[in-house]
Amino acid sequence: MSENYNDKLQELLNTQKAMEDAMKDPQNTVITKVLTFYIDDQVYGIEIPDVIEIIEVPPITAVPGVPSYIKGIINVRSKIVPVVNIRSRFGKEEIPFNDRTCIIIVSTGDVSVGLIVDSVADVIPVTEQHISKTPELTGVNSNKFIKSILEMNDGIKLVLDVSKLIDEHASEENK
Amino acid sequence: MAKVEPGMESMLEMYIFETNTLLEQLDEILLRTEDANVFSQEDINEIFRIMHTIKGSSAMMGFENLQHLAHKGEDMFFVIREKPEIAKDAHFVYELIFEVSDLYKAEIEYIQNSGDDDYTPTDFSDTFKKLEEATEKLKAMENGTAPAAEGAVQPAASAAPAGNNVEGSMTVRVFFEDGCKMENLRAFLLLTKIKEEAEVISCTPPDVESNADTAKDIVENGFLVTFKGFDGNNDSVLKTIEGAVNVESYEVIDTPAAPAAEPAPVSAPSPVQAAPAPATPAAPATPAKAEEKAPAAPAAPAPAKSAAKSAVTKAQEDIKKASGGQKQSLISVNLSKLDTLHDIVGEIITTESMVIANPDLEGLELESFSKAARQLRKLTDELQDTVMSIRMVPLAGVFQKMGRIVRDMKIKLNKEAELVLEGETTEVDKSIVDNLNDPLMHLVRNCMDHGIEDDVNVRIAEGKPEKGTVKLSAKHSAGEVIITVSDDGAGINCEKVMEKARKNGLLTKPESEYTTKEIQNMILLPGFSTNDTVTEYSGRGVGMDVVRSNIEQCGGTLTVESEEGKGSSFIIRIPLTLAIVEGMKLKVGSTIFTVPISSIKESLMVANNQLLHDTKQGEMIMIRGVCYPILRLHEKFNMPTEVTNLEDGILLLVDVGGKNVCLFADKLIGEQPVVVKPFPKYLSQYNIKAEGLSGCTVMGDGTISLIIDVNNLIS
Repeated sequence: MSENYNDKLQELLNTQKAMEDAMKDPQNTVITKVLTFYIDDQVYGIEIPDVIEIIEVPPITAVPGVPSYIKGIINVRSKIVPVVNIRSRFGKEEIPFNDRTCIIIVSTGDVSVGLIVDSVADVIPVTEQHISKTPELTGVNSNKFIKSILEMNDGIKLVLDVSKLIDEHASEENK
Repeated sequence: MAKVEPGMESMLEMYIFETNTLLEQLDEILLRTEDANVFSQEDINEIFRIMHTIKGSSAMMGFENLQHLAHKGEDMFFVIREKPEIAKDAHFVYELIFEVSDLYKAEIEYIQNSGDDDYTPTDFSDTFKKLEEATEKLKAMENGTAPAAEGAVQPAASAAPAGNNVEGSMTVRVFFEDGCKMENLRAFLLLTKIKEEAEVISCTPPDVESNADTAKDIVENGFLVTFKGFDGNNDSVLKTIEGAVNVESYEVIDTPAAPAAEPAPVSAPSPVQAAPAPATPAAPATPAKAEEKAPAAPAAPAPAKSAAKSAVTKAQEDIKKASGGQKQSLISVNLSKLDTLHDIVGEIITTESMVIANPDLEGLELESFSKAARQLRKLTDELQDTVMSIRMVPLAGVFQKMGRIVRDMKIKLNKEAELVLEGETTEVDKSIVDNLNDPLMHLVRNCMDHGIEDDVNVRIAEGKPEKGTVKLSAKHSAGEVIITVSDDGAGINCEKVMEKARKNGLLTKPESEYTTKEIQNMILLPGFSTNDTVTEYSGRGVGMDVVRSNIEQCGGTLTVESEEGKGSSFIIRIPLTLAIVEGMKLKVGSTIFTVPISSIKESLMVANNQLLHDTKQGEMIMIRGVCYPILRLHEKFNMPTEVTNLEDGILLLVDVGGKNVCLFADKLIGEQPVVVKPFPKYLSQYNIKAEGLSGCTVMGDGTISLIIDVNNLIS
């Protein structure tokens, strides 16, 4: 009985020590957290500080005279927020909304925008060792929205640069 | 140096507001008197009052430079008050006072904008000197024109020390509230007030205005003042003293009763003359003497005293009555509070619709509910009207400021012109008034600089009066305020405009295709100025497009109308209220549009045989003999809908500024007051406004409706 108990205690202490060691290693310090979501099978991420909330898709009011990837405006508790379909923003074909489709409201500065995504996945902590630098591949369109690339155990995740995504002038298609 | 003494910060905002208001009043009086070329006694008193108040409050806030500035100005007007005629044709007086007023405004703005520690008082010594010179000049003029008057003043002044003996005078000792600070200035303000109603014969201590040390004497011994009411009635003066700020108590110490008992007022240099002797600052002693004197005063002092006392009691009662009867009926409110109130009312209206038009209630017969709902709607309507009316202010304030601009430019440009105001009582939302100031100023300057001819002979040759006219008018019209700035000057020279546009590369199509109206409106383009040289007032080419963008910011439009040789008009149209409009909801496909009711003339169903087609296959409809073009909203906004046959949908005849068009929609849904919200910032990079949409609104069920701006839709 008591031996059993001691074993358990030892085990717990070991885990704690391992965690503490991991914390001491700068490579393992959690820098930021990232909300991940799916577009097709690719996982994208947005840094948590940029995210305001995640909502279901409400009725969207279309607005004339805007690019086709801006689907219109929605009412989020009496605030009018424009919504962008990430699929068409990235030049992919739009798919009909299903019950996993949702809108991530992001904001930089005083501009809020809703992003339509296929589905949200998880919130993951990111440490230094996960980040691999964005390759400087000029001329590749989808690259300019990418802030960093995360190499995780379960695959590669692309973290989006929200301010570039929102700021039209910086992300104007190369014509 | 800290801006204001600790503890005074809260007063600063009030001080700034009050002083600015006073300066505006001052400008107004000066403009009026300059036009009339004479100072009435009333005007001078008013100017004095303004100067005094500014001086007093500046001193209280510790802005010494401003205090002195007002003091010097006062000195000048002191001379004018003695003899108002000398100010006739003395334009330097006006120049100087306007300069003082400007310095004040600049300094106050500086105080307002500078941080607590980076404020250094501006040095006004140049202006002081000018003011002193002007005062001397006026004095010289006064002496020159009326030596007799000067002579008359002298004996009066020398008689003043003998004050206590003047027939019908009264001496009062005033004590101020404990710890109210700067008693000398308060005494001085009180003195000024008394001066409005009575002749002040003497006061002790005498030099309260300039000598801060007297404050201590006043605390200890009170402030002694001898006066004589203009109309022989000293009671009203007592009332004034009673009502003055910070006056703790006062006592009447000497009331010479019967004229017979008095020595001849001016002639007799009686022993008393030495007693109050204002020159000696032996203040503690003086009141004592005066007090001693009181019982010893001639004839029947006791009855007189009691009579005075009863008068005082009566006066106090009167004051009580007066203050009970007429409380001040105006308050000033922070605008941000009104904005919040306004927002809340907007939310209430939205929420009200949410409740009344709730989908849960659909199909239910609820008699008592709808009765209550109607009652609620009535009250919210009233609430909204009241809130709107609180925010409404007349345009008079903005208009009158333009008087100053016209005056200054008249002198600088050496042109004869007058400003005519019309409909200045028209009320618009406060936020709009604030946004109108700069555009109007630009437009008035433009009229003065470009509009009115440089050469009077040109005007005479054209058969126009020598004096040019700049007219500012405002009126309400169908949910809009129309403000017109017009002049009777040279008008817009189309050739010159064209030439300039060619030079600046502003032309976008062949020259022959431009209509006169288009050419005239080109002056509103950025980077356009026909003035050959840059002047202080205009010619930099930034004016008009800034004016236009300022006006567009508050939802308005700017157009130009001009006839060469006759003059030009700049017409500003601004929506009366920015935030809440009565709207008609239309359905087009799955989208709900809202059209402001003010622009709808009628709605109608059509039969195909009423339709006409022009050569470009444009659709038109004949209604009561008039032909109107049809605009299909689903085509215009590219919204898919099943209703494409005109017979199945509904036509809405809209009218904006005389232009009519029929809008085609699927169906009408109903009327509803809507709270206009601007499109989100993210979308401002796309020109949605040009598409004919002015904003959006949240409807009762939480969905969004787009608000159609008929004016932009048509053009």
